[in-house]
Amino acid sequence: MNTTTVRVLYIDDEENNLHAFKASFRRQYEIYTAISAAEGLKILENVPVNVIIADQKMPGMTGVEFFKSIINTYPDPIRILLTGYTDIEALADAINHGDIYRYITKPWNDLELHNSIKNAYDAYKAKIDLRNKIAELEKTNDELNRFIYSISHELRAPLVSVLGIVNLVKMEDLYDSSGEYWSLIETCSNKLDYYIQKTLQYYKNNKTASDLSSINFKKLITELIELYTYTDKSTNFILNIEQNEEFIGDAFRIEVILGNLISNAIKYQNVNEENKRVSVNISVTSYGADISINDNGVGILNEHLEKIFTQFFKGKNQHGSGLGLFIVKEALTKIHGKIEVSSNVIDGTTFKITIPNAKFDKETK
Amino acid sequence: MQNSTKRLNRVMLIDDNEVDLKINAKVLSISNLFEHIIYFKSGESGLTYLKKHIHHPEELPDLILLDIQMPDMNGFEFLDYYKRLPKPFIDNCTVTILSSTLDFGDIKKAEANTYVAKMFMKPLNPKELRDFLHLL
Repeated sequence: MNTTTVRVLYIDDEENNLHAFKASFRRQYEIYTAISAAEGLKILENVPVNVIIADQKMPGMTGVEFFKSIINTYPDPIRILLTGYTDIEALADAINHGDIYRYITKPWNDLELHNSIKNAYDAYKAKIDLRNKIAELEKTNDELNRFIYSISHELRAPLVSVLGIVNLVKMEDLYDSSGEYWSLIETCSNKLDYYIQKTLQYYKNNKTASDLSSINFKKLITELIELYTYTDKSTNFILNIEQNEEFIGDAFRIEVILGNLISNAIKYQNVNEENKRVSVNISVTSYGADISINDNGVGILNEHLEKIFTQFFKGKNQHGSGLGLFIVKEALTKIHGKIEVSSNVIDGTTFKITIPNAKFDKETK
Repeated sequence: MQNSTKRLNRVMLIDDNEVDLKINAKVLSISNLFEHIIYFKSGESGLTYLKKHIHHPEELPDLILLDIQMPDMNGFEFLDYYKRLPKPFIDNCTVTILSSTLDFGDIKKAEANTYVAKMFMKPLNPKELRDFLHLL
């Protein structure tokens, strides 16, 4: 117990017991005694007690009744019930309604009671520690949320204004009026915007709880392709999606995963390739979805295949952020999916993903 | 300019960010999709205009481009007032959101709002706007 003071309140209608208790434990604990429940309550009102020991059989109010009466007003102190005879009903009542930590029979054994008080105090400390930790976490979480919100708005809004100005410059045919300065501004702004978006995605993936819903892969893939080919339609998509089963999954993370892979497949096309092509094959069963995304783009060096999922890894001469595939991997881990990658000159680059169907999980449970 | 799109009479921009207001007004004027462009720095001033001209349809907008995050009255609060305006006007006017937000909650709330016909992301892409107006 070393330096911490443990405050114990002992309530018993027999004065002798109070004395005996005090004599046995006053060196280890700060002891408060009360001759009745009413007096015990008075002490509770004035002293932050850690452990309460109450005798069951008292005139006026029994120990269990006392514990019940303070369950909402003083929920923190740990309760020990002391009783001279085995009363099953009182015991059941104590456990079910009185939030009792220990039940000790009279006459007590000093060592047993001592250990019980010690353990009760540890339980008290754990309870308080946990509460403080939770409060601390909630505060941190709140701050983080506000921070993320300010990133998503305050930080991004002016950047988007810059991009708006670049658009205007294009509309007014001034884009090439100052050498390549405008295009450099545009590239840098887009890059910064991409980083902001990926950072948010990563944060949301870490934080958001899984939210299950029914997923229509054909619809999802079509939407994603439309989104990422909005500005550049030179890549040809070949879709082969077989879904005869309902698929239940985490729509947000699946969208993040497929979105990143599809945008990569478009982004890393060969500039000189005439038939830029991406094939998406999906087959859905009641067990899961098998997805493969294949492209004939620039490919990934063999020695890089191991590293592409690590944070901030970038291929040489590539203009990525080093976050896309890292986020894909993180999101897949959260939903118990798997990913494999292969890349060679003949077959191009293929990402193979398996995502379990949560519908199957539910049914088997 | 483009003959395929008939020019609408009036577009209303509401945005607390003056730079964006200037940029988007300019984008709209170059796109030549509207006869008139009116812009307001707050939801309140936009509403005051609508109420003042409620009996002069030619002064009222056919399209509103509304920002979400604004001090005092945000986009959603504006919509709460907007929906209480006379029905004939609401029926003839289309409200769209023009925002840079990436906040999941804001996006979902905007999509769920019955009065929001479309959510545009800043920077405003004139082609996307034209495509949207085609569908009206």
